[in-house]
Amino acid sequence: MAAPPETVRVVDRDAAAAVAGLDALDTPTVTRTPLWRRALGATVPPVLTLVVVIVAWQALWASALFPEFKLPAPGTVAEQFGEIVVDGSIWSITWTSVGRAVVGFLVAVAIATPLGLLVAKVAFVRTAIGPLLSGMQSLPSVAWVPAAVLWFGLTDATIYFVVLLGSVPSIANGLVSGIDQVPPILGRVGDVMGAGRLASARLILLPAALPGYLAGCKQGWAFAWRSLMAAEIIATSPQLGVGLGAYLKQGSDVNNIAGVISAIVLILIVGVGIELLVFKPLERRVLQTRGLAAPV
Amino acid sequence: MTATLDRTQVAPTRPAAQLTGVAKVFGTGAGAVTALTGVDLRVEPGEFVCLLGASGCGKTTLLNLLAGLDRPTRGTVDVATDRPAVMFQEPALLPWLTAVRNVELPLRLAGVGRSNRRGTANELLELVRLDGQARKRPHELSGGMRQRVALARALAATTVDTTSGDAEKGGRLMLMDEPFAALDAITRDVLQGELERVWRATGTAVVFVTHDVREAVRLGQRVVLLSSRPGTVVREWDLTGTADRRALTGEITDHLREVISTHGRAA
Ligand SMILES: Nc1ncnc2c1ncn2[C@@H]1O[C@H](COP(=O)(O)OP(=O)(O)O)[C@@H](O)[C@H]1O
Ligand SMILES: [Mg+2]
Repeated sequence: MAAPPETVRVVDRDAAAAVAGLDALDTPTVTRTPLWRRALGATVPPVLTLVVVIVAWQALWASALFPEFKLPAPGTVAEQFGEIVVDGSIWSITWTSVGRAVVGFLVAVAIATPLGLLVAKVAFVRTAIGPLLSGMQSLPSVAWVPAAVLWFGLTDATIYFVVLLGSVPSIANGLVSGIDQVPPILGRVGDVMGAGRLASARLILLPAALPGYLAGCKQGWAFAWRSLMAAEIIATSPQLGVGLGAYLKQGSDVNNIAGVISAIVLILIVGVGIELLVFKPLERRVLQTRGLAAPV
Repeated sequence: MTATLDRTQVAPTRPAAQLTGVAKVFGTGAGAVTALTGVDLRVEPGEFVCLLGASGCGKTTLLNLLAGLDRPTRGTVDVATDRPAVMFQEPALLPWLTAVRNVELPLRLAGVGRSNRRGTANELLELVRLDGQARKRPHELSGGMRQRVALARALAATTVDTTSGDAEKGGRLMLMDEPFAALDAITRDVLQGELERVWRATGTAVVFVTHDVREAVRLGQRVVLLSSRPGTVVREWDLTGTADRRALTGEITDHLREVISTHGRAA
């Protein structure tokens, strides 16, 4: 083939330059803050909050407005905390609860995912159980504890039943809204490329619904955790072992306020810890690859 | 001898797409909307045809028929390739995939192997001058760059055809539904030039829908003017060998005005 004439080459070079210039002008710029600044920015404010809370607590205690058995000093709670750390019971207590929550949550994911898909994709299922699923989400799962105790006795089944009823609706609803929020144009992209239903679901629909699904999972975890605590506080028995809820109940039974507060602090630490270590990084990654959250 | 002659004469005349007496009615009874009626249109292999018309005249409906997404109420639609590529007004890229993986998508859906599709996708990105941006995600690209990724993806789609395969380039067809309408004027101007270059390089037949007369006249070898409600072909202009495109722009604009004004009088 003959080389293109000089004019064609010049025109093409000009076009290439114009395109390159436009690209340089239009490309969104991202400024990244260094890691240590990000870490500092993320940790300093909550640590400050914690310090303020403890100082206020200490001041309130020192004012002696409340009797000791209602409001212990921060130091007393720390001592109680130290005790269970030293005798090692903190690990078994925490693990009993976390293990249950994790198993319950995973089972909930396994149930809620196909359920959510059905509700999102089958019109009849949506009208039939969609409202029920939303309603269940606003029903506090504590309400199920007495019934579950009557049905299953003081067994693990009771606890898992309550956990599942707490978290399945959140996860399923998250998936449904994730699917509902997929821009219809993405489905059309698959259609014009001749994608079948299965390929379209796997390559387009499900990845597109991931942010909503993940938000549902995060909420589902929180609901699993709080349902578990409710169940453990109400349904206590020797064969159930001592989880965080039972530990809290024990403290309350013997009027040990420091024990009760230690338990609450532990419940909080686990809840926040899982959120920070598992869900936040996952969600951040998913949103960032989609350009949905500003890289901080 | 005659057989050989027949083949050389018949084979190239199979159009890339042909509509004959096509009508499209949405709904039935009193609420029925006639979007298209009596549309005849023939697109030769490698030809660049611009469909021009006011909004609501059935341009998108016509493209959907060509794309096989919808069936005509009357008439026949004949498209040489079984998989024409479609480009929309929005880039419609998958936001979680990098540019190169977006371009690979049609190949992936067609079952092309990993290394083959990566090779094709990289070539096409180079063709649209985005070879340096292959690993960026859509949100890291400008609007014009995204639309070029979409162009590369559409081109990738034209390379997969289960019936005729790669050999028969003549069947390739790209359907574009106002692809530059959402871009700013400068970017649009540059991309029009880029599309022209890519079209010449690939030899794909293009049906390009627009409501912008200047865009139609700049890009098209043929401009087809559609009327509105119901949409039908009012007039065609063959632009090959037209020296004075500016004068023609004026002429077509006048016709378009006339078509639009009839609706004001009817109402
Ligand atoms: N799915 C549909 N159902 C009913 N009417 C439709 C549908 N799609 C398009 N129409 C009607 O058909 C006409 C042409 O629409 P369209 O092809 O989108 O026009 P354009 O792309 O030229 O703006 C419009 O009057 C529109 O309201
Ligand atoms: Mg349209």
